[in-house]
Amino acid sequence: MTMLPLLLIMFVGAMAAWQGDRTKKGSAPWIAFFTLLGAAIYLLVFCLSIDNSLTRLVVTDKHMWISSLNIFFLLAVDYLSLTLIALTLLLGFIAVLISWREINENLGFYYFNLLLAVAGTVGVFLATDVFLFFFFWEVMLLPITALIAIWGHENRRFAAIKFFIFTQLSSLCMLVAIVTMAILYKNQVGHLSWSWFDWQQMAKPNAWMFYIMLGFFIAFAVKLPSVPVHSWLPDAHTQAPTAGSVLLAGILLKTGAYGLIRFVIQLFPDAAKSFAYVAMTLGAISVLYGAKLAFAQQDFKRLVAYSSISHMGFVMMAIFAFNVNAYQGAIITMIAHGLSSAALFCLAGMIYQRIHSRQLNNMGGFWQSAPFFAGLSLMLVAAATGLPGFANFIGEFYSLVGVFSKYPIHATAAAMAIIGSAVYGIRLFQSTFHGPSTHVISDLTVREWLILLPLILLLVVLGLWPNILLNLGFVGGV
Amino acid sequence: MDVTAWLAFTPQLIVATGIIFGMLTIAWRRSHRLIGYFSLAVITLAILATLYIFPIPSIELTQLVKVDLFAKTMWILVLIAGAIATLLAMGELETGTEVHDEFYILLLLTLLGAGVLVTSQHYASLFLGFELLSISLVGLTGYFRNRQHSVEASFKYLILSASASSFMLLGIAFIYSQTGTLNFSLAGVTDIQNMIMQLGVLLLFSGIAFKLSLVPFHYWTPDVYQGASSAVTFILASVSKTAMFVALYKCLVDSNLINLLAGEKILLAMMFISIASMIVGNCLALGQQSIKRLLAYSSIAHMGYLVVLLMVLGKQHHSMIQYSASYYLFAYLLANAGLFSVLCWQEKQNKNEPDIHLCHWRGLIWRNPSQGIVVLVSVLGLAGIPLTAGFIGKFYLIISASHGQLWWMLSALIVGSGIALGYYMPLIFALFKDDEVQQPSTLVTSAGQRIFSMFIVVTTLVFGLYPDVFANFLAN
Repeated sequence: MTMLPLLLIMFVGAMAAWQGDRTKKGSAPWIAFFTLLGAAIYLLVFCLSIDNSLTRLVVTDKHMWISSLNIFFLLAVDYLSLTLIALTLLLGFIAVLISWREINENLGFYYFNLLLAVAGTVGVFLATDVFLFFFFWEVMLLPITALIAIWGHENRRFAAIKFFIFTQLSSLCMLVAIVTMAILYKNQVGHLSWSWFDWQQMAKPNAWMFYIMLGFFIAFAVKLPSVPVHSWLPDAHTQAPTAGSVLLAGILLKTGAYGLIRFVIQLFPDAAKSFAYVAMTLGAISVLYGAKLAFAQQDFKRLVAYSSISHMGFVMMAIFAFNVNAYQGAIITMIAHGLSSAALFCLAGMIYQRIHSRQLNNMGGFWQSAPFFAGLSLMLVAAATGLPGFANFIGEFYSLVGVFSKYPIHATAAAMAIIGSAVYGIRLFQSTFHGPSTHVISDLTVREWLILLPLILLLVVLGLWPNILLNLGFVGGV
Repeated sequence: MDVTAWLAFTPQLIVATGIIFGMLTIAWRRSHRLIGYFSLAVITLAILATLYIFPIPSIELTQLVKVDLFAKTMWILVLIAGAIATLLAMGELETGTEVHDEFYILLLLTLLGAGVLVTSQHYASLFLGFELLSISLVGLTGYFRNRQHSVEASFKYLILSASASSFMLLGIAFIYSQTGTLNFSLAGVTDIQNMIMQLGVLLLFSGIAFKLSLVPFHYWTPDVYQGASSAVTFILASVSKTAMFVALYKCLVDSNLINLLAGEKILLAMMFISIASMIVGNCLALGQQSIKRLLAYSSIAHMGYLVVLLMVLGKQHHSMIQYSASYYLFAYLLANAGLFSVLCWQEKQNKNEPDIHLCHWRGLIWRNPSQGIVVLVSVLGLAGIPLTAGFIGKFYLIISASHGQLWWMLSALIVGSGIALGYYMPLIFALFKDDEVQQPSTLVTSAGQRIFSMFIVVTTLVFGLYPDVFANFLAN
């Protein structure tokens, strides 16, 4: 069954939202909502129609695109990409719902960008022609930059430029690596090929592979983000509108992790193994450094942003541990972090709407006026800090177990960060909901319940029955 | 000499005849409209003629001229640029009380110069085309003598292009002293790896580098860009640079000269010039407020990227280099056409202060969507962002450079593109700013302008999404 309609639905929906809002004001959110609904239904139908196992990539679409360079429009799915696409669509819904009241200007163009960002991300998860992958990789960037730059907070343009330059530079490194790889293929076989499947089969001269792998690694490490190249993330997250932060934290960071798995690990296993120690160290540093900096933040969103760096550090470590437990841990952490950080950014957005501030010292004592709000927030903070019973715990536990068997020192160091995450988690919750009451705020509205409840439920369900995901049998990592 | 050989040169002959008839028309009746449409008709006829002769295989016409696929492709690009420039000039010149018929004659002369350059196969025809192009461009740059910097710009251009051509002549003399032929093709010539030959090539290269505004021969570019009217600046950016690049390609790469010099220091010098252009051009563009100056500096960097193609050694890569160069220049032409036409329309409405600055483009996408979108797409194209033709151009460039294993130049290209985002992004964000709309006057767009804008946008996107269009065109 073809996956092309999924992309087409969202692309057409994006155009419709833009044009629709011109003719009838206020129709854009509805169009976006129904577009995502259509896409979700299509995905569901697709999932139901699967009759053979998708533990390995299965090609769904293959069309010639650029014949002079032998580039195909080649889509393929396996369980990993399907899971991530489902997460993307879910967070797309959340992003639309959270923007419902927050965004009032240029509605049509806003939802156009939002849907395009979601479509681009889905494309990234589907593409197996590496040039096509790069294409979607870039296409997803533009609308997110626009979301930050147009609808963001006070310092939005700086944040958007920083974000764009970081990602663009790193992806140019990847582009050079991609082109070199295609030319190596040509030298071996006689014609260019950009297909992931062909590249996996080809003989890989060691002298080249390390540098090519590095080109890919740089691009994904920036997106993940890992420590030396993380500095765009706090700015971008803080300045983005809530929906932008949700998309950034929830799915954009996952594309980095997905890229590491799909390209760095699966295409260049030998080069990646020789690089594993460095990557592992970078991951461990990210874990600790992110946790430390998160503790020091005054800005609600900045705190969550630094905690993301910490959590994605776990993913990086787990991916480069090359064993099954760690690999599964990486995937569960990706999903869990996507859900929990998206929910935390939604919280930040809801508080910002009520008191027009993101500073922790302007907050406090919200429990008294908004008990349900506080209760749900407590659950989300607990999930984010990795309390047992939530999916985050399973992910981090599996990752640490896997990493420990190979790199005990790194695993021990990273485990310290779990204490750190409890510290900043408690600080976040305390200064927001405890203490003397600073503002009287209204409790959750129905729309806000609709946003938070599914996320929390999923976190709990995956935390109690992780086999739902583990049974999909993610192979790889060995 | 049979007929088909001459047939291959008809487009250039059409332009040349067009110039003579244009002058006769002026003698008969001075009308701005008449001469405008007349030159447009001449250019269209030349385009049609080129399309007609497209299937004719590569052919040499006397010693001087060789009409091959690359020359024909680039000649079409040059003519399209010429047609767009004519349209822009017709809009710009309409308001004056004078009849500006000389302008169109000069424009056609420039095109003829470019037409000779792209087909040149001999240093004599190279020089002929070079001078024809330069002298008429001097006239065009200084044409609007009432503008503030007009005379300064044209004077600067005159002096610098005169010195460039003398450099080039000296270089040609040195090369001749070693090879004994003025023809590009060096069949039978061996053993030229000596200092004099290298000096000759260096001088020739720097003469052309003046025209391509490569660092360190770039100083004239921002001033001339700013001083000339937008239609003329567009010709400088597209016609002149395209033709000069083709000429450089023909005498260095197509002639196999660069392969004969492989491993010599001259290649290092060229590589240095290219890398310096990418870095310096992009750095200088940072923080520019005047759009034209910004585009001038960015053009320095773009030409620096293009020189990478010349350094890909090995005969087997020639067709790929040609294809990459055509695509890159085509994308560059499209982006420039979009930007300069918007500049041209705005300058016309902004009489008292004709230099358009970044602040004039604030919120353009909300105030005037059609102009805003053209600017947006064109700037994205210049920055080489996917979805636009500019990205595919850069992609082909990277493919060629990887074939040549030019890792240093590729690194410079990446760094340069990164710096470039530092000025392209603020430009794009300015389009979306809606907080402080300070505007000179309301911008009006005619239906024609809107259609033209849409044409540029659609072409840029089509060539960015489906680059096979270009390949198919060349294959037929």
